[in-house]
Amino acid sequence: MKQEISALMDGELFEDEADSLFDEIRRGSGTHKDWDVYHLIGDVLRQPEHIHNDLSAKVRERMRDEPVVLAPRARATKQRARAFALSAAASLVAVGVVAWMSMQISPEAAPQLAMQQGALRPVSAQITSKANDYLMAHQEFSPSADMSGGASYIRTVSYSPEAK
Amino acid sequence: MRAGIAFVGLLLVVGNACAEGRQVSLDWLKTMAFAGHQTDYSGVFIYQYGGRVETSRIIHVVESDGEYEKLECLDGPKREIIRHNGHVWEFHNHKMVRASNQGRGKFPSLLPEQLSALGVSYQASQVGVERVAGYDAQVILFEPKDNLRYAHKLWAHNVSGLLLKASVLDDRKQPVEQYAFTQLQIGGGIDRSWIKSAPAMDAQGRVHDEKSSAAAGVSVNSGWVVDALPLGFRKTMEIQRPMRGRHAPVVQLVFSDGLSAISVFVEPDDGDEDDVNGLSSRGAMNLYHKLANGHLITVVGEVPARTVMQVADSLRYNGAQ
Repeated sequence: MKQEISALMDGELFEDEADSLFDEIRRGSGTHKDWDVYHLIGDVLRQPEHIHNDLSAKVRERMRDEPVVLAPRARATKQRARAFALSAAASLVAVGVVAWMSMQISPEAAPQLAMQQGALRPVSAQITSKANDYLMAHQEFSPSADMSGGASYIRTVSYSPEAK
Repeated sequence: MRAGIAFVGLLLVVGNACAEGRQVSLDWLKTMAFAGHQTDYSGVFIYQYGGRVETSRIIHVVESDGEYEKLECLDGPKREIIRHNGHVWEFHNHKMVRASNQGRGKFPSLLPEQLSALGVSYQASQVGVERVAGYDAQVILFEPKDNLRYAHKLWAHNVSGLLLKASVLDDRKQPVEQYAFTQLQIGGGIDRSWIKSAPAMDAQGRVHDEKSSAAAGVSVNSGWVVDALPLGFRKTMEIQRPMRGRHAPVVQLVFSDGLSAISVFVEPDDGDEDDVNGLSSRGAMNLYHKLANGHLITVVGEVPARTVMQVADSLRYNGAQ
């Protein structure tokens, strides 16, 4: 198995062999580790000053830092769309990771990945007029009230569309 | 004492080799805060957020007993706010009701220590002169040093220092909200006739005063702490206060980084099913509701959604201290 991975990395496998190996990697967690280690070895041989170790853990960490999507009473259709958007974004990230791992890492890859993650934004609804009291209570202690005076209170009385 | 702190702060800032531009920007900030409180003006401004535009009129005058201010929305349903120093009334259910009475000092509440704290969180720079509402304005940009707060771009009138336009930008430099005067009169004969009818003049009489929501908060040591408070934010207030529509008093903690603030509200969960968990926003304001261990936690601030969520999720009861 290790030899196969090594051969794949050197581009010495035929397409069908490579496919079955990819299947194998997808199934087994042990081969994942081998895959990482072999790439690490490759990286060290090629650019000893620029080593990426255990990238997947870092990606997982970044994903964990992304805010969880929690929206009050979103309609079912919205939720489906959101689930799709989320899974699409997740697979984009996954594609980004695979592309990153299989091509040798170029410095441009990092910002690209970061941008794809930036596309994952928390879904949020309009603040309801019921919550205006919190905004008012907040506004009186906010530094923005010092800068723009009463104009900053516009946030607390702004017309909410749900009041229609 | 305060002057002493200011002086030491000034020395520190001057001592910093590359801080000259920053100091100029901070001076502008002080000027803006001062001008906002001490100038008579009246004008029309637009408030823009999330593809919406609203037009409002504002009148601000300084009398012998302090500031009077009237804010009136010109489109949509009637909405109006009158402020006299720290007292705020709003038009609610066809009458003016007291919305807040926290007795904020006359001015300015931008303390020197808050100004020096700004440098921790923002990179300040002057980016030129632009024209707003017919006046030349100095443009000052505060760029955040992390993605837990927004960038603030401020246009200050060259002569009076009055804030003519303000724009809040996200981490992709896209405006999340903007407010700008389209017409403005500074000084001169500003209409003061409305002051006589202002509720402040006879709060006992004509104005329906909701006592429960009008009482000021009292300072407390609530025992609630935020573990993952973003760098640069400091607690500026911790009070227990009544709030309209709430049965029990609410604990409010306020944190500020000098330009933006985060309020944390903690109250017993009254089982109101309208208090749904989740995130909502209006312009730069993000609000996050969360139910935890029988408490309703609400975090509000003119900071990104991730910041209010981080604060809400790291809130912890530390017991009486």
